[in-house]
Amino acid sequence: MHDLVVIAIIAGLLALDDRAGWQSLAGEPVFSSLIVGLALGHAGVALRCGVVLQLVWLSIGAARGSRRPNAVVGGVVGAAAACLSMHRTGDPREPLVVAGAVLCGLLAGEGAQWLNTRAGTARERWLEKFELPKDPGVASRNLTVYVIGSALYVALVDALVAVVAVAASVAVVELIIDRAGDGAAGVVAWLTVLPAIAVATVAHAFALRTLRRVAALGCLIAVVMAWLL
Amino acid sequence: MAPVVGKLARGDLNRVFVRLLFVQATLHRRGMQSMGVLHALDAGAELISDDPSGLLARHTEHFNTNPNMVPVVVGGVLRIEEEGGREGPASVSRFKQASASALAAAGDVFFAGGLKPLALTLASVFAIYKFFPGLVAVFVLYNAALITVRYRGLSFGYARGWGLVEAFSSPRVQRALVLVRTGAALAGGLLAGMIATEAYHRGWTTLVLSAVVAVVAWFGARRGVPASRLALALFPVAWLVATVVH
Repeated sequence: MHDLVVIAIIAGLLALDDRAGWQSLAGEPVFSSLIVGLALGHAGVALRCGVVLQLVWLSIGAARGSRRPNAVVGGVVGAAAACLSMHRTGDPREPLVVAGAVLCGLLAGEGAQWLNTRAGTARERWLEKFELPKDPGVASRNLTVYVIGSALYVALVDALVAVVAVAASVAVVELIIDRAGDGAAGVVAWLTVLPAIAVATVAHAFALRTLRRVAALGCLIAVVMAWLL
Repeated sequence: MAPVVGKLARGDLNRVFVRLLFVQATLHRRGMQSMGVLHALDAGAELISDDPSGLLARHTEHFNTNPNMVPVVVGGVLRIEEEGGREGPASVSRFKQASASALAAAGDVFFAGGLKPLALTLASVFAIYKFFPGLVAVFVLYNAALITVRYRGLSFGYARGWGLVEAFSSPRVQRALVLVRTGAALAGGLLAGMIATEAYHRGWTTLVLSAVVAVVAWFGARRGVPASRLALALFPVAWLVATVVH
């Protein structure tokens, strides 16, 4: 099957899982990248990209009212861009390819969130038109149609956005590989220090005194373990 | 599992549960989860009420809570409706609003502030070390917890009715919230320690740069700047600095 069709199916199913119902974590970059990587045959590279995206988007705390980038599209696009670029260019500088893919994943996440807000307006208008029929049978059928229709719309929008973004991202990653030149070291350094954002997220989320102490204990355990091993 | 007492049998509750898996599908600003709840109630309405359309008409109002807690509220609503909504439609509406608010707070702290970060942090740790069984274990355990809370929540709500509001303000629930938040903090600390250790192994330059990025991101987080925007802004800076230094 064509790679873009596979990506569209994965993005659509993960969008259904994440935004329409179950919310099983499969749509989070760390898992979605693994799924994409396994499907496209570069699980290691995809996972490396997914972990960095996950660490940047490691949201802790109440999700209500906050706007998070579209992690489903971002994760899928980042991982797919990494896999397809590795496949097409065969560039031995894996960190550079992953860095380019992470950049594309971040951009896709932001862009998809913006597009979803716009595309969601049509869905909202349609949902707001719903009126409960008097006949229970008709009401039941209409409710099912609205639920399935709305879920499919969400999946379709994310699938389309993911496919377009992947096609553009592969070109962007190739451009970065070609033009990086002396800046390649900086791009790789950028990828290396991005996980530090997760440290800030943890420090910010667990700012209460007791939780801060527990987090500090966890940090100490990790450092001691690393030193011992 | 305890037998279900009431007009709805286990199979009927299962049907309600399946529909609740799509409660977020019809999320919209005006009614939020109202259509999702209606769709779930519809699965049991004919069995508990002589006037199913009247029952559904009472629940078209705005409804919003943590998605993992919706089954508890729907279970409670089904029980109250089955008992004839003793104190009239206003009572059911009051129950929905009261339980939705209480459970939204508890659900957000438990899931968004505890269990999900805990699972994602551990998954990230396993992914960094490419330990795939760990990754699968996190996924399976998280979903087992999710299915337990949702499925048992529906049965619990149906068994308790009005009583579930008191049940969720009990010290046991508060202890569980504290426990899961503490676990998430510990896992977060582990992740932070691992990132610091990795940076140290790559050399002092990486360690110092990581510390600078962490401090900037922390200040950004305090001022509400999204981490992803900061990451995007750093990309051209890194490229430019490397080109100039070279």
